[in-house]
Amino acid sequence: MKAALALIAASALALVASAASAQTKDTLTIDLPNDAATLDPHLQWNTDSYSIYRNIFDNLITRDVSGTIVPQIATSWKYLDDTTIEFKIRDDVTFQDGSKLTAEDVAFSIKRIIDPALKSPQLSQFDQIKSAEVVDPVTVKVTTKSAYPALLAQLVKLSIVPKAYVEKVGNQEFNQKPMGSGPYKLTEWKKGIETDLEAYGSYWRGKPPFQKVVFRAVPDVSTRIADLKTGKADLIRDVPPDQAASIKDGDGTQLLSGATERVGYLYINAEAGPTKDVRVRQAIAYAIDKQGLVDALLEGYGAAVNVVGAEPVFGYTDKVAGYDYDPEKAKALLKEAGAEGAKLEFLTSPSYSRALVEAMQQMLNDVGFSVDIASSDQATFLKRRQGDAANAGSLAFGAWSCACQDADGIIFPLFRSGSIWAKYKNDKYDALVDEARSILDETKRKELYAQAYEILRQDVPGLGLYQSYALYGAAKHLKWEPTANEALFVMDMSWQQ
Amino acid sequence: MLQYVAQRLLQAIIAIFGVLTIVFVVMHLSGDPTLLLVPQDASAEMIAQLRSQLGFDRPIGVQYLDYLGGLAHLDFGDSIVQRVPALDIVLSRLPYTIQLAAGALVVAIGLGIPAGILMATNRGGMIARILSAVVVTGQSVPTFLSGILLIFIFGVTLRWLPTSGSGSLAAMIMPSIALGALSMSTFARMTRISIIDELGKDYVRAGRARGLSMAQVVVRHVLRNASIPVITIAALEIGNLLAGAVIIETVFAWPGIGQLAIQSIQSRDFLVVQVIVLLISFVYVLTSVLADLVYVAVDPRIRLVR
Repeated sequence: MKAALALIAASALALVASAASAQTKDTLTIDLPNDAATLDPHLQWNTDSYSIYRNIFDNLITRDVSGTIVPQIATSWKYLDDTTIEFKIRDDVTFQDGSKLTAEDVAFSIKRIIDPALKSPQLSQFDQIKSAEVVDPVTVKVTTKSAYPALLAQLVKLSIVPKAYVEKVGNQEFNQKPMGSGPYKLTEWKKGIETDLEAYGSYWRGKPPFQKVVFRAVPDVSTRIADLKTGKADLIRDVPPDQAASIKDGDGTQLLSGATERVGYLYINAEAGPTKDVRVRQAIAYAIDKQGLVDALLEGYGAAVNVVGAEPVFGYTDKVAGYDYDPEKAKALLKEAGAEGAKLEFLTSPSYSRALVEAMQQMLNDVGFSVDIASSDQATFLKRRQGDAANAGSLAFGAWSCACQDADGIIFPLFRSGSIWAKYKNDKYDALVDEARSILDETKRKELYAQAYEILRQDVPGLGLYQSYALYGAAKHLKWEPTANEALFVMDMSWQQ
Repeated sequence: MLQYVAQRLLQAIIAIFGVLTIVFVVMHLSGDPTLLLVPQDASAEMIAQLRSQLGFDRPIGVQYLDYLGGLAHLDFGDSIVQRVPALDIVLSRLPYTIQLAAGALVVAIGLGIPAGILMATNRGGMIARILSAVVVTGQSVPTFLSGILLIFIFGVTLRWLPTSGSGSLAAMIMPSIALGALSMSTFARMTRISIIDELGKDYVRAGRARGLSMAQVVVRHVLRNASIPVITIAALEIGNLLAGAVIIETVFAWPGIGQLAIQSIQSRDFLVVQVIVLLISFVYVLTSVLADLVYVAVDPRIRLVR
């Protein structure tokens, strides 16, 4: 009897012990600066909305940790000709209501986002697509208006939505109660407060790492950090570099940082004001101490760059020499241009780091400019920056990412004449970037971008400053590797005791 | 009385209409939301296309008339950013603002009025001096600092209270104190001044001469007479608190009207801003009418006339 009792006790103990070691984290809580604007993945595109709804939906294709485009809902693809590409679709994927995902849903998703009636702000990323047709239940044919090399890079951002469900409930209801084929399904959306997700049991890529995920909207960064330190949050986004140290050395917290495709750059107006003279623009380029900015203001969480682009971007080149920090040369150029004491207006808004802007102001004043900072709210800033060159100031700081990792998404919109951002015109440059966006040959494209970057170096309509690092604060047990496109897929995370 | 209320309401409608018009014009002149909605690499045509789909390419007069037409049918329009009815968004935030305002008001009145009474009746004493130090602190520490300090002390260091959120009574404590501190000081000062004012009047001496104790005089007579200015302040403070506390709500991730207002203004979500403006103007008007009615109840010498 005694022996039997002891045996029971021992096995009970063993059970408790094994339960303890197998115990995983049930709920992962993530603090974002804002709530999602919409959960319909074909509407708003901002980082907070992305971070949430892309866990509810799958993408046609995606990028792996190294940045390579890899299959997700599509298993493979091939070009039939320059403007036609055929995707093979997985046939083992179900939506969260149990219905099967087919080629119909993929074609519907593409047609839905390019339909002007949806009024999607994302349309511009997909407007090169002419049509999408179902060939058979596992095959979709996509036609573009012309040869379009960035198509795959853009399709990384396309979420697949269920045709039958969207048509049944309508757009408005779908935005409130989204349903996809992704690892997590929506349980409750408390607008402006938090979004609660629950693991989808039959997810085709296997069991999601946490049973529940809660995204909270916490606008103040000090509060997000307090949440992380007290365990109220397990992961927080947008940690400023000057707060990184307290999280890195914190008790139970760790700092996750990842180099991104986002590049900090200085726009220089080449069409109006004192900066119309190329020597003045070159003087500005020599006057900025990029490494100094990275060391002092980003606490080293960034890397100085030679061009407006960075390593993870297709078309980036390390062959083009950047401008070294050389204040003497800057002064000489300024003198040669007869522009000493030239007044430069530096446009900015509260969306950009004031410290960075003021540091650059100081560097420019040191070589003989007279820089005035004109700060306005973001809408007004954009209106001026994207408007008429004469009213677009002389300088502005920006942090650019197209989330497509292709030079076509960076230097085409920034510097191609006619684009809203460009205050610059060079026919040779225009021809190069035009050609590079209309051919599929990768080697040739790289060559064209290298030449385009060389022209930008001489003309300096903008100056690449640094590649930015995304900084996240996380609980010590969270295992996750941030990616270059700043995506936040819970499926890639895990909890390790 | 009824006529008085009707007249005040008519004035209010004109005032609210004026505020709406001003906000409409200012918001529309300073840029539309299209630029904030599109991805960075959008072309000029794309932006123009979206702008026209959203209707922002029409002359401002047409947009204004269109908006008024909707209002006439109690249609407040849809949020441009969230694509849901603007009224629903604002109403979903209202309970949080009322909760926080109530919490702050409890702090402000519950502490402010007794402190004011003590400071007035105990002039020059130790208690009055300590209290006036507290009042000055409450009045002069900016809320972004007091909020973060509270979080740091009671949330991160002592771990007594949740650092953010809105789900529980415990979560209400810190934002209520941080928000109520300023109103508390106002109530304390106002109460103190009006009581001191009353204490110098003849009826107080008469009461004392009839053998009433100081405490009896204060409780029976002075408080009632001193309450008129305090009621005025209370009406204003309630209006302020209900208008939302932008900084406190941001610091504590409290999902009230203030946070929504600032976000909607930043993203140029016009129709949401308009609903908030309507609501806030309405609250101000309502509290001031209520204050007038309370005057009459408290002091029969006051008559509401045109």
